[in-house]
Amino acid sequence: MAKKVDPAIAKNLELLKASQRRSVKKRIWKYRGFYLMVLPIIVLAFVFNYIPMFGNVYAFTNYNGIKTSQPLLEYLQEHWVGFANFKKMFSTAEFVKAFGNTLFMSITKLLLNTVAAVIVSLFLNEILNIHFKKIAQTIIYLPHFLSWVVTASVFTMILSPTSAGLVNTVLVNLGIVEKGSEIYFLAKSNWWTFWFFMINLWKDTGWGTIIFLATLSGINPEIYEAGDIDGASRFQKMRYITLPALMNTIVIVLILDLAKVMNLFESVFVLQNDAVKISTNVLQTYVYYQTFQSATIANYGYTTAVGLAKSLVGCALVLICNWLSKKVRGRGII
Amino acid sequence: MAKSKVNNTSKPKIHAFHIINAVIFIVICLIVLIPIWKVVVDSLDLKTAYGMRFWPKEFGLDGYISVFTNPTLYHPLIISVITTVGGTFLGLLLSTLTAYVLIQYDLPGRTFISGYLLFTMVFTGGMIPTYLVVRALHLTNTLWAVTLIPAINIYDLVLMRNFFEGIPSSLFESAEIDGCSPIQTFFRIVLPLSKAGLASIGLMFAVNYWNNYTNYKLYINDSNLYNFQMKLRSIIMGSDLPSAAGSATENTVRNAAIMVAIIPFMIVYPFLQKYFVKGINIGAVKE
Repeated sequence: MAKKVDPAIAKNLELLKASQRRSVKKRIWKYRGFYLMVLPIIVLAFVFNYIPMFGNVYAFTNYNGIKTSQPLLEYLQEHWVGFANFKKMFSTAEFVKAFGNTLFMSITKLLLNTVAAVIVSLFLNEILNIHFKKIAQTIIYLPHFLSWVVTASVFTMILSPTSAGLVNTVLVNLGIVEKGSEIYFLAKSNWWTFWFFMINLWKDTGWGTIIFLATLSGINPEIYEAGDIDGASRFQKMRYITLPALMNTIVIVLILDLAKVMNLFESVFVLQNDAVKISTNVLQTYVYYQTFQSATIANYGYTTAVGLAKSLVGCALVLICNWLSKKVRGRGII
Repeated sequence: MAKSKVNNTSKPKIHAFHIINAVIFIVICLIVLIPIWKVVVDSLDLKTAYGMRFWPKEFGLDGYISVFTNPTLYHPLIISVITTVGGTFLGLLLSTLTAYVLIQYDLPGRTFISGYLLFTMVFTGGMIPTYLVVRALHLTNTLWAVTLIPAINIYDLVLMRNFFEGIPSSLFESAEIDGCSPIQTFFRIVLPLSKAGLASIGLMFAVNYWNNYTNYKLYINDSNLYNFQMKLRSIIMGSDLPSAAGSATENTVRNAAIMVAIIPFMIVYPFLQKYFVKGINIGAVKE
């Protein structure tokens, strides 16, 4: 964001700043209306974002989620367990599995979706007929806007092992699967993971192409003409002109999305079922089940601790990505 | 934003490659459309579904009639409409007002305000502490929880600010000289000049609210306050399939319910597509 400033102008700016400092009171008065405008979001962010940050203090207690009228400090002191929840976490197999799943699933998804989006946009860029291109774009963007509930509903039916299941019907008709032994795709954890990635590709590949197409439209056509003169084939031009031009954007997309990898929740949650619940859990779904669908009395202290661990890793990732982004393109992501 | 150009201007000749490429894209579009088309067909088909039909075997609207005549189904639909309209308005109001404040470069405390808001993108309170705050405020099982929380969208707010930054500052100066108060400037200059931005971000909010599921799952227990996504989920999971009207099968009703969840979007999408695309471009490509 910072602009390079000429030394002479910098001096004038200093003087200007000094005079501005003197008039801070005046400016506050001048802008009094603006403080009123920004007040609602400050209050809302305080209530729904900042108080919960402090609420993470429950991670160090064995709070059971039952409402209490005890003063907070007294309550915290009485139920303080120190780092016990964190110790318990790392010795719980389910947590370790969920942690690994979160990283594996979101990073694999990120790589698959990005590669697919790059390939699709490279070929989309080669379409000559502008109307066909527009129609194709309209269609492939569409699934992005369907809710995860709708997406999961549609694919649960398509992948079902009954005669209504499209995929099994096709496999039976092709003779790959025998009738009567249809595969219950979403109930076997390996198949579940495979289809999780496929469904994500179906939903977001098209949407992912937008940013790459914007970059492609900015490439100077003269470079391609020079390539033609040098006798480059179509694929050589794609490989040596288009792809390098996209490299910067690819890196940016990867960095921006890497910051979000810990947030995986809804897409996994709505596709899960009892058969694969434990093996496909990610941190957020693990926290949800442990808190709200626990067979015993839920330990809110423990689940808050899991959430805090997730937030800390997420925070570290955002900061790393921000630093990377500054290196790569000169400005941060936040 | 540069208009999309065809890069190979030197060789407009149709090549075998172009035919193969077109075929590839027809296949890609079919892969995208077939799952949706299956829902369309099954929602209109009164015969038990089988694999894939490209046209209903026994055409009938009974599935849709079941959705619209069954109060347990149209009630969630009304909740969805109310929260989408209210939430979008609230979200737009919050983000435009805040974005307008954030472009006042000599406002004392501007950096603090923007830092205060951006920090919420770096570190989040997490699911359980947020739930406990909502519960402590007695907002669980109210529509406030599911309307207020998604309205605080810092990402959309930054996009809005980027739109506002495109307005020439000379316009603000002349408005000030003409004696416009800040709020007058906001309504008479900023908003009318940002129609595309408002449309784009408003649509993002609307889609978010319409598709909202996680917030309902966390904060709403009372099935009278379920939105359509929640209801759809429980129908598909088979826990409370509504009685089918006429000769609709269970499967017909399920598919009709999915259709009702996506039809409003399908109707507006082809006309408003450019605004959706604009939002992502201004957010990500802007230098």
